[in-house]
Amino acid sequence: MTRYLFRRLLLTIPVLFFVSLIVFSLIALIPGDPARIMLGEEASREALDVLRRQMGLDRPILVRYLLWMGRVVQGDLGRSVRDGRSVALTLAQKIPVTAELAVTSLLVAWAIAIPAGALAAWKRRSVVDYAATTVSLAGISIPNFWLGIMLIYLLAVNWRWLPPSGYVEPWVDLGRNLKLMIMPSIVLGTALAALVMRLLRSSMIEVLGSDYIRTARAKGLADTTLVVRHAMKNAMIPVATIMGLQLGGLLGGAVITETIFAVPGVGRLAVESILTRDYPMVQGVVLFAAVAVVAVNLIVDMAYALLDPRIRLEERA
Amino acid sequence: MKRVVVLVLIAILALTAATVAAPRRGGTLRVGLNADPPQMDPHQSTAAVDRQVFQNLYDKLVDVNQNLEIVPMLAVSWTISQDGKVYTFRLRPNVVFHDGTPFNAEAVKYNFERMLDREFASPRRSEVNLVTNVEAVDPTTVRITLEKSFSPFLSVLSDRAGMMVSPTAARARGKAGFSQQPVGTGPYRFVEKRPQERIVLEKFDRHWDQSAGNAQQIVYRPFTDENARLANLRAGELDIIDQVAAAEVPRLRTDATLKLAERAGLGWQGMWIQVQSGVFSNKALRQALNAAIDRRTLVRVVFGETADPANGPFPPGMFTYNIQANSRIPERNLDLARQKLREGGQPNGFAFTLKVTPGRVPSQVAQVIQSMAGEVGIRVNIEIVEFGALLSQLDAHRFEAALLGWSGRPDPDGNIYGFFVTGGGLNNSAYANSRVDSLLDAARILTTADQRRRAYTDVMNALNDDLPYLFLWWPKDYKVYSPKLQGFVHISDGMMRFRHVWLNP
Repeated sequence: MTRYLFRRLLLTIPVLFFVSLIVFSLIALIPGDPARIMLGEEASREALDVLRRQMGLDRPILVRYLLWMGRVVQGDLGRSVRDGRSVALTLAQKIPVTAELAVTSLLVAWAIAIPAGALAAWKRRSVVDYAATTVSLAGISIPNFWLGIMLIYLLAVNWRWLPPSGYVEPWVDLGRNLKLMIMPSIVLGTALAALVMRLLRSSMIEVLGSDYIRTARAKGLADTTLVVRHAMKNAMIPVATIMGLQLGGLLGGAVITETIFAVPGVGRLAVESILTRDYPMVQGVVLFAAVAVVAVNLIVDMAYALLDPRIRLEERA
Repeated sequence: MKRVVVLVLIAILALTAATVAAPRRGGTLRVGLNADPPQMDPHQSTAAVDRQVFQNLYDKLVDVNQNLEIVPMLAVSWTISQDGKVYTFRLRPNVVFHDGTPFNAEAVKYNFERMLDREFASPRRSEVNLVTNVEAVDPTTVRITLEKSFSPFLSVLSDRAGMMVSPTAARARGKAGFSQQPVGTGPYRFVEKRPQERIVLEKFDRHWDQSAGNAQQIVYRPFTDENARLANLRAGELDIIDQVAAAEVPRLRTDATLKLAERAGLGWQGMWIQVQSGVFSNKALRQALNAAIDRRTLVRVVFGETADPANGPFPPGMFTYNIQANSRIPERNLDLARQKLREGGQPNGFAFTLKVTPGRVPSQVAQVIQSMAGEVGIRVNIEIVEFGALLSQLDAHRFEAALLGWSGRPDPDGNIYGFFVTGGGLNNSAYANSRVDSLLDAARILTTADQRRRAYTDVMNALNDDLPYLFLWWPKDYKVYSPKLQGFVHISDGMMRFRHVWLNP
């Protein structure tokens, strides 16, 4: 297990390197001059040249990349060219916000998807199945921005049950923090739930048709015990992969949802940094997102071993 | 007897007015902005939204009032030499910065040196680069000498270039450090800024105007989504918001729970035409396109009542608005358009690419123009280009036509000079007309409103014939606020000045 983990961690280094290389060149290729965007339309050519020199934009892209990489290896993500803030510090402010939203959204998704998926498989081709399928399709089809605005108008403006948008740190006011997370988590959660539910349903149907379930049923086990205790664990294996990918994606930030609900997370940071050509900040965000995806996938791989003892992580000698 | 009654009535009225208008102290003013202000240093700022926060964090040498007239702020009075080159300001005594540094003539001198420093690369440099010398005559007198007469100078000082930062803090913290911990003399001092989340200001107790700063705190929050911004105001989470979707305006007019403030803005919007090369180097074809556009219909369809059709760079409210070539909206004339197409050697029409920034409004405008131009055979290809990329292409004159406007400045010069003078930094069209150049320069030297109006009349007649830019609409400025907010004065520059507002419970 330790050897496997070590090997996997070692493998992430080239992955992160390639991600950073691709992102760096992509940003450099986008038309638009960061100096022009910072100094505005009125700036003179001379002022632009001075700023370009200060930002190091007059150097070849390879030199810029190597200089940046050299600092990153030493743990220095640099400073925003837009307002001089430390990239690491800004990320440290945004990541907990996005992480909280990711976790609450997944909880909403699972709370809907797991019972619905299991029920739909168990009562296949019944009203329950069709209802679950329809609802899940609706979850995928409704655009986030529309659902978000609808929730705000109903729950916040009309009925005044919840604050419409914004963010408060949990240590400042935990109650308000959770209230503010409800609507964005519903918006993200319903979209994620659909996929998990569909996948769990088909995986469960397959498991329910397998020999060991038939044996268990022949032994006279109750249906509930059968589904919850025996079938669920095996049916969850492919679902766990999807959940891992979803969590990794969520940690990269949910741009539209964060914008509508004014949640100051990684997604909005990414968009604003790209629009202002804030290279160091974009690099920092992307690097974080890549690390998050890699790490979550590693955890998922290890979780397989727990879900299914037949899956061995160590190679045979 | 009658007179006594009248006097008593007046006294009662004055008394009730006084009780109604007595400002209330305390409370937190919550403001919804349309974007996240990136910069807190006025000498580094380029985003328009930064200025909203600056109004309350900094004082300026002078300010503008509701009629866009220059009024005293940190400078209590000033004299201008006969040749228009030397400005002598008498400064307000006993003013301190938030860090305790005294504000005086030396501080003003430092601020100009900071803006003019090449290495500092301030976006303000181009606004004040005519300044050749700043002399601290005595602590409350500062003398600024310009290279040549420049009548819009005071107006420039009513914006970011006139905002004074603390020399102590600016020196100690450096370029990046100061924008994290900005220090001005305004009625509110900086507390914290969390990107994309909030900016918090707190009342400054030692401000020179003791009647300023009624609210204890101001919290700015960015909402880039206009629906979310309004929903937060409706839900009571905000007290005032900047800008609102055009579709909401008619409903807000009759909404008893909210107040809508409407005013003509200072900016202009329309279409850049690159006149140096390509299809539009042919003037007759520019005139053909112009004749095919119905500005009134365009504005009615896309903006409803939230904008006015435009034909020049001076929106209503500016003293140059009434110039006929600026305010008279041309009628659509398809016969003229066809005639101009024949003159331009393209009787069957031609095609060009119109670049627009992403978003609903620019796309709608482009589509309306596309269908209007199509009626005389002018085919418009619409291309959506991200803002930063579009700026680069405009800079390099790599485009045929593009929809982009200007947020506006209180003095007419700031709305016209750099855009149409040959080689100007904002002259995206690559337009060159020596007669326009000398008229624009003349308008900068002329001091009376009448003389300047005459110079701009001649400029506008030339621009309406040459058409390097099609002015299409003047956007109006909107604020929506809760009835709890009292004493708000709406000024055309769209800036929210909170020094004398207060919150009722």
